[in-house]
Amino acid sequence: MAEPHVETIAHADHEHMPHGWRRWVFATNHKDIGTMYLIASCVMFFIGGAAAMVIRAELFEPGMQLVDPGVFNSLTTLHGLIMIFGAIMPAWVGLANWMIPLQIGAPDMALPRLNNLSFWILPFAFSLLIATFFVPGSAPAGGWTMYPPLTLQFGDSFPMLIFAIHLMGISSILGAINVIVTIMNMRAPGMTLLRMPLFVWTWLITAFLLIAVMPVLAGAVTMMLTDHFFGTSFFNAAGGGDPVMFQHIFWFFGHPEVYIMILPAFGVISEIIPTFSRKPLFGYEAMVYATASIAFLSFIVWAHHMFTVGLPVSAQLFFMFSTMLIAVPTGVKVFNWAATMWKGSLSFEPPMLFAVAFLFLFSIGGFSGLMLALVPADYQYHGTYFVVAHFHYVLVTGAAFAIMGAVYYWLPKWSGRMYDMALAKWHFWLSTIFVNVLFFPQHFLGLAGMPRRTPDYAVQFTDWNQVSSIGGFAFGLSQLLLPYIVWKCVRSGKPVEGNRAWEGAHGLEWELPSPPPFHSWTVPPSEALIARGAEH
Amino acid sequence: MEAPQQTRDTVRIVICPNCSLTLKGAALFFGGLCFFCFTLAGLLALRGMWPILPFCGLEMLLVGWALHASLARRYRTEIITLTESDVSVESHDRANCLRTVFPRHWAQVKLRRPASSLHPSRLTIESHGRRCELGSFLTEEERCGLAIRLQRLIGRINESPSLAMGPE
Repeated sequence: MAEPHVETIAHADHEHMPHGWRRWVFATNHKDIGTMYLIASCVMFFIGGAAAMVIRAELFEPGMQLVDPGVFNSLTTLHGLIMIFGAIMPAWVGLANWMIPLQIGAPDMALPRLNNLSFWILPFAFSLLIATFFVPGSAPAGGWTMYPPLTLQFGDSFPMLIFAIHLMGISSILGAINVIVTIMNMRAPGMTLLRMPLFVWTWLITAFLLIAVMPVLAGAVTMMLTDHFFGTSFFNAAGGGDPVMFQHIFWFFGHPEVYIMILPAFGVISEIIPTFSRKPLFGYEAMVYATASIAFLSFIVWAHHMFTVGLPVSAQLFFMFSTMLIAVPTGVKVFNWAATMWKGSLSFEPPMLFAVAFLFLFSIGGFSGLMLALVPADYQYHGTYFVVAHFHYVLVTGAAFAIMGAVYYWLPKWSGRMYDMALAKWHFWLSTIFVNVLFFPQHFLGLAGMPRRTPDYAVQFTDWNQVSSIGGFAFGLSQLLLPYIVWKCVRSGKPVEGNRAWEGAHGLEWELPSPPPFHSWTVPPSEALIARGAEH
Repeated sequence: MEAPQQTRDTVRIVICPNCSLTLKGAALFFGGLCFFCFTLAGLLALRGMWPILPFCGLEMLLVGWALHASLARRYRTEIITLTESDVSVESHDRANCLRTVFPRHWAQVKLRRPASSLHPSRLTIESHGRRCELGSFLTEEERCGLAIRLQRLIGRINESPSLAMGPE
């Protein structure tokens, strides 16, 4: 092609960038909003973690030591709500904000002001939730599942809880809409759906799940509100309502919610493993279809959370088999990750360490999930610490480990600096050892019959509870390393040379400088660049 | 960017921004989403849980608005029409149309490359102190291609190549 006549100009008008507090309060830049989400998520992780420390301290010995049973139940409830809606979900939204535009070659999210709104709703929602500790009747204490009729008996905290749930739901929906519209309409020319990185794919499917189930949660909590204040009887048996119906609706939301927290983790792991195996991802398309299959199956398995309420046998069988079916696409993923590593040129930097730990430990959570899927076995396990161990393996060593891996993977890209590798490895090993000390004994406690959500227990459970509590304190303390490593990296990390922080990294985000300019991809990437990044 | 339409004495080039979602794709996507979500909400409403329906409706309204707002950029179009005597540039968005006409004999096409490679180049048609920027939404390669085509069609200042030659 002939060269056009070109003149050079000394400046362009794309340098403008807000400064001071306005940059954050009125933020519309996807990176700034992503950063705010990640910081908020970290703060909520430590608040929820502090609640967990009190819970584990109380459970260190049988009998009542530190808090009364009401406060213990409130701590359990708020720990769950804060970790799910305040730590894990906002962390994923933060990562989506940072990475999706960079990975699809878009200049920003499709609806930047909506993005700002969806973030700034969150601090108000969580202030409201935490403020329930200071109102008459204390904080909600019926568990994060908010089952009636117990939840209907709360004091002034009840409407605050419902309002906070609505706010969190609005924030999630706005975030999901933004992600969907960005991915559907803002992809650079040549970035076809099957060239998108797995993280983008998993987020697209996650956003669909959010859109599908959030109205169900909103409807369910609104029905509870009207039952409480307006005399309706949706869930009030005395008025002809059905409390079990709430459980159906809640878990129709709640099970896809679990996948909302874990699907983006699959995306992150699918980015990290090929990079540190120096091989393309094995079975890219199979991974996409497996993710979609898991999302579909998440809508038809909800009643496995409530086998003991008295479901008909046919329903129990259906939900048992449909739940076991989830192991198939999940197995496809695990084997594809293993196949990606097979004969790869592996190296074990912190992101890869977290990814490998995710593979092993998430699989443990998956296997205990299969055990819980078996109706006769579930009758034994239901409501015990076995369930607590199961979902913590899925959500801590699954979702939270993937988030930490993602932070260690992309931090050099975000900051332009490399973090302290030795300290990050310390963080990994301390986390991995103590998370197992914390949660693995809970399997034994559950199998021995210790009920969950209890501040006191029979003396025969003391030993494993003490082991679990020691693991909990050590795991909690070791997490303080993460913000320190990030702070140290941003402040005085060694600058990253070139665009790629990792030798085997591929994808559009690694074609930009580190850190990326305030306005990135103002010029859409070329087809050649996209093709190079999409060598799955 | 659409291929130029050329008659014996007129060349017309239409350029529009990239939207990875077509209108048909958006309609299918939105229809599918509504069908799925309203089916779920409807089934739950049949079981007496009707308050889910209005939340679902509100959410779909929001999704529809978001798609509409994002697709609005699709209506941004620039039409460059070259005749033997004039070069006209029509910039359309959804509501407005701005038309700028330059005498072809005196018009110049300039592609300005910024000092930093992170910023896009800027393509303009200029004449008599007036300037009109073109194709700010194109990729770098597309803008370079358009610049070459326009430079051939319009020529340098004080040149008017025959339009019958057409672009390569």
